Formats: sequence, C-alpha cells, structure tokens
Amino acid sequence: MPVWQSIYEELNDPNFVIISAAQDTGGEAAAGPIFEKANVTYTAIVDVNHTISSLYNFVNVPSAAWIDEEGRVVRIDEGTYTRAANVLGQTIGSDDYLPALKDWLKNGADSPHIYSADKVASQIRGRSDEETLAEPTFKMAAYFYQNEDQDRANAYWDKAQALSPESWNFHRQDWSFLEQKDTMKNFMGKVNALRAAEKPYYAPMELKPSTD
Amino acid sequence: MRKTRTIALAALLVALAPIAIADGAMVLFNDQVVEISATLDDPTDLWVSPDDLTRINGFVLKPEGACLDDICIVAREDVDGGLVVNRDGAKWFSVTELARKLQQAFVHDAETGVWSFGEIPVTRKPFLESGMAPDFALEDRNGDTVRLSDLRGKKVMIVTWASW
Repeated sequence: MPVWQSIYEELNDPNFVIISAAQDTGGEAAAGPIFEKANVTYTAIVDVNHTISSLYNFVNVPSAAWIDEEGRVVRIDEGTYTRAANVLGQTIGSDDYLPALKDWLKNGADSPHIYSADKVASQIRGRSDEETLAEPTFKMAAYFYQNEDQDRANAYWDKAQALSPESWNFHRQDWSFLEQKDTMKNFMGKVNALRAAEKPYYAPMELKPSTD
Repeated sequence: MRKTRTIALAALLVALAPIAIADGAMVLFNDQVVEISATLDDPTDLWVSPDDLTRINGFVLKPEGACLDDICIVAREDVDGGLVVNRDGAKWFSVTELARKLQQAFVHDAETGVWSFGEIPVTRKPFLESGMAPDFALEDRNGDTVRLSDLRGKKVMIVTWASW
C-alpha cells in the first residue's frame, strides 16, 4: 500500500524490492490515483484478477509475504500495517513490524523474524474444495466485469462469495460496486457476525522483539 | 437381447464423444485470456487442438502423454477416449478431462463459452508444503512485466492493498 513509500526511501536498499499489488478489479481508475498521490517508486501493480491473493492464499488486505534471495517465503502475514492500529475494536498490525523488517534486511537468515519452511507451510491459509473452486469463479466475475457484462459479473461474484465466505477480498470487491450505504451495511453485518463467532478480523500477527 | 445392448452401447459412445466442430471459446487461466477459434461441440467438456492446449496451459501432447515439465498424463486415443479423440485426421484434446485428472477446479459459463480454470494442484505443492514462493508474471503500472523469478538474489516483500 502507498504508505510504504517513505519506508522504502528510508531503507534505500538496492537489494530489497517492494511489490505493491492493488487488489482492484476496478483497475487503474480505482487504484491508479492512490498510487499517483503517494508518488510510489517501488513496483506498483494493479492486480485486477486478485492474482497475488489467489496465489498466496490471502483473504484480506493488507497482507504480505517476505521472500528471500532464493525465492523462499520466509514470513507470511495478514493485517500487514506499518504500525499498530485499532480497527473495528481489534488491534491490528504491530509497532514491531518495521523493526522486524529492517532486522531481516540486515541479518537475513539469522533474523529471528523469519520462519522455517515448515512454519511457513503452517502459516499459509488452507483452502477447502469450495474455497479452491471460488478462485476461478472470482476470476470469471472479474472477466465479465472487465467486459462490461455486469449481470454475469454479479452472478459469479455471488457464487465466489458463497463458496469462500471468509474471503474479505471477494466480499469487499463486490460491495465496492454497490452504493456506499449498502457497502457499509454489508461490511458491518459481516464484522458483527465475526465478533459473535469470536473470530478475529485478521489473523493475529506474531512478532518477537527485535534483537537490535 | 445382445444386439439391442450393442446398439445402446454404440449410441452411448456416440453421445459421449463429440463429433461436430463448434464455435470458439474464451479460456481464463494463470492471469491470461486465451481465445480459441474452434472447439468440439460438447456441453460439458472443452475440446481443443493440441496447439490450443499448449496456448491455454503449457501442456504439450507427446507420444507418452500430455506433459508440462515433469508432469505427464497418459493420453492415448486407443486407451482413453475421454482425453484425446481423432476427428477426420485431426486430434482434439479435452482440457476439462485433463483438469479432472489433475483435480484442477474450473467453472464454465455455457451461454458465453467462457471457461475459467484454477491452479493445477500439483504445481502448488512447493508453496503449500515447503513455502516456495509462487511465481507470477504481472504487468506493472509502467507496462513492464514483473516476474518474481527474475528477482532471485534480492529480498522481496509483496504487499497487497485495495482502494475499496
């Protein structure tokens, strides 16, 4: 997300790449102005099909993966805010996140913040058969939306949400095309249902204190 | 009544194996939209030429089967008529039957002829079991293709966000 620009400038590390992927089926019209306003100089992608979320099993934004020099995921997180914030009564993100990132950039494999392959595998969100089917279903909706067939887009968005009810990406993308008041109504309805089930809006972030 | 049974079986086989060449299709896979100009007429399966198969998902029809890197699925028309058939000397391959064999999820919009395929599960194992980062090729806002596999030797943070 665009808030990373100042951090990217501060880090100023030629061997560190930030890829910021806007999960926006609305395309450049939706995400472009926000990238522009932030004057981002890192890699900026408008990911209309939510390909990154689909590949990395993310269900909400912001989510992040750290990838080492050999292409291994060494950390995978939901609710990747640059500092702790209170959203909807839940503390999300952590003030320890940026120090942890810096620690990894400096110490690589010796950083206490990176995970073993087994730990990464256990942190990746699993998918049921229905959730797996929801992925091509959502992409079908995005295809029809891009081809200005709103009725079919809506039909496949409904199916994707029914198949994968825990994907906030799918719900919120679909609701973004509704009137604002309906969007908030849907959103708060889902949030309240989560609260009633005592489930967090984001998976809690695990961070050890930084060593230096 | 053996003869009746034979006829019934023959009718069933005809019903199972499409003959007529139908209109094209649009196929979504791996962030690509591939337009197919000719398919076999079949309401439940997507039959394409071997060249189109490769355009869709990279699988190449070889004597030993349909192969992608080290994955090979046996595809012989005399053994498995569900995967490959011959019509007037031309081979047709069922992308959907391949998907079933690979346990790959797909969705079909019959009215518009659009097919959308999910990831191939066997190609997901390095990520799900060992945390190897899934590769992708996406266009950035400058129009350049960003390939994760081109960034070996650097540390990468992928972070998602959205306007909504």
